[in-house]
Amino acid sequence: MALSNVTAGYGEGNVLHNINIEVEQGEIVALVGSNGVGKTTTLRSIMGIIKPKVGSIVFNGQNLGLLPSHKIAITGISYCPEGRELFGNLSVYENLRIGGYLVKNHKNFKSRLEWIYELFPRLYERKSQLSASLSGGEQQMLAMGRALMATPKLMLLDEPSLGLAPILVDNIYEKIREINRSGTSILLVEQNISLALETSGHSYVMEEGQIRLQGKSKELLNNDYIKNAYLGVS
Amino acid sequence: MYVYVVQQLINALAYGSVLGLLAVGYTMIYGILGLINFAHGEIFMAGAFACYLLVKALHLPFIIGAVGAVVASILIGLLLYKIVYQPCIKHKAPVLAVFIASFGASLGLKYLFMMFFGDQRRAFPIPEYLTGVHVFGQITVNTRDFVMLIATIIIMVVIAYLIRYTRVGIAMRAVSYNMKIAEVMGVDSIKIVVVAFIIGSALAGVSAVQYGLNFSILYPNMGFTPGLEGFIGAVLGGIGNVPGAMIGGFIIGIGEILFVALLPPSFSAVRPMFVWGLLFLILFLKPTGLFRPNVKYEGIWGE
Repeated sequence: MALSNVTAGYGEGNVLHNINIEVEQGEIVALVGSNGVGKTTTLRSIMGIIKPKVGSIVFNGQNLGLLPSHKIAITGISYCPEGRELFGNLSVYENLRIGGYLVKNHKNFKSRLEWIYELFPRLYERKSQLSASLSGGEQQMLAMGRALMATPKLMLLDEPSLGLAPILVDNIYEKIREINRSGTSILLVEQNISLALETSGHSYVMEEGQIRLQGKSKELLNNDYIKNAYLGVS
Repeated sequence: MYVYVVQQLINALAYGSVLGLLAVGYTMIYGILGLINFAHGEIFMAGAFACYLLVKALHLPFIIGAVGAVVASILIGLLLYKIVYQPCIKHKAPVLAVFIASFGASLGLKYLFMMFFGDQRRAFPIPEYLTGVHVFGQITVNTRDFVMLIATIIIMVVIAYLIRYTRVGIAMRAVSYNMKIAEVMGVDSIKIVVVAFIIGSALAGVSAVQYGLNFSILYPNMGFTPGLEGFIGAVLGGIGNVPGAMIGGFIIGIGEILFVALLPPSFSAVRPMFVWGLLFLILFLKPTGLFRPNVKYEGIWGE
């Protein structure tokens, strides 16, 4: 998937300026940066929630430009939003059911559901519970499970560690690696830069709506600018 | 006295069905689109007229008339959607504009029918086989009320099942809660909106037949009071909540008939007090209604 020269924003102003990002199949790519620089906006423009004013977004050879969100979902991209955005009025199972809305075959749906329940046993325990009543960690699991139900080729994962205790964060990142191993490419937006750099293969560092730095995550970990500005090491 | 109350209760169930069916239509549209379809009462009225025309003018059997009522309601509902609501959605019209458009559609339809049919009350066609009564001890039940009540209960069970367990029903509830995220999951929200209009309008058509059989009249302004009371029933049941709307509609309908029945005749002018008084009480004590609303933000005007 490639974003090329994407400029986008809400209303009159622009949040993103000339963004170029690539995600190869099977990769975990991280998009890092401080609060409010435009990381979530980037994911939203891929998913069709906002449309780029300039530039193109291509996935598997297909231009996503003018497609509405539900058609973008059909191409194989799924979105796990910042703050989870679960359907609070639906149960755990029903949230997963909507995640699997596009899964036509009943057998596929069932086996996919089983896989999600194996990945996140807590969700199986609470499958009839209202999603609004889950704990923070469980909600994150459900949001991710929901995004995985349609077996996406690419999952856009926005701030999975937000608001979670460190033990839960480790747990979630374990699962993220497992999900990637099972064949799903991931574009990871994460404020916790060291976590993002440790988990991903490639990373892009965003500042004020532009890509400031990019490269192999391992190299970026040793980059002086990154170490000074983001990792608090001098 | 007791017999009188039970008798009234039986009669009240018929009006309760009318309102319950209308309430579901209001609640579905509000849940998904966040707008009150003020013209829903006119969809109801159009259904009644369709049945009337099919039976009285074309001399078709009543069954055809009843089905025709449902079909006509669906068609008028879809027409309303295409002409009034779809443009509003497309151009992201502000709430007030939608409000006005909706109200305008209601007036437009009402006066259109008044232009063609005049505003006199007409007799709703009641087929021979539904004019009987069943007598249980001291209680008399009209056959037609009985039949319509059974039909309504069956319909409501089917709708409740649909909303609760089917892919489309769960999608409707998801879209009510968060349309954007539902779309991200692959749900075509426009299709869901159309489904809601079709179901809501169809129920209004059934309600119209029910009303016609029970009250035996039809006239262009007939949708005003049942529409309003149906809407209040939807609010009572938690807006956006379909089973809640069914129950809310029944409570308003039964409550109003019982209220009138138990009221001394000299106080009959006070009849509208019940519904308005109840609405005031609801908004005062429990603005979100008896049951959980099915929208993301529980206030009518969003956050």
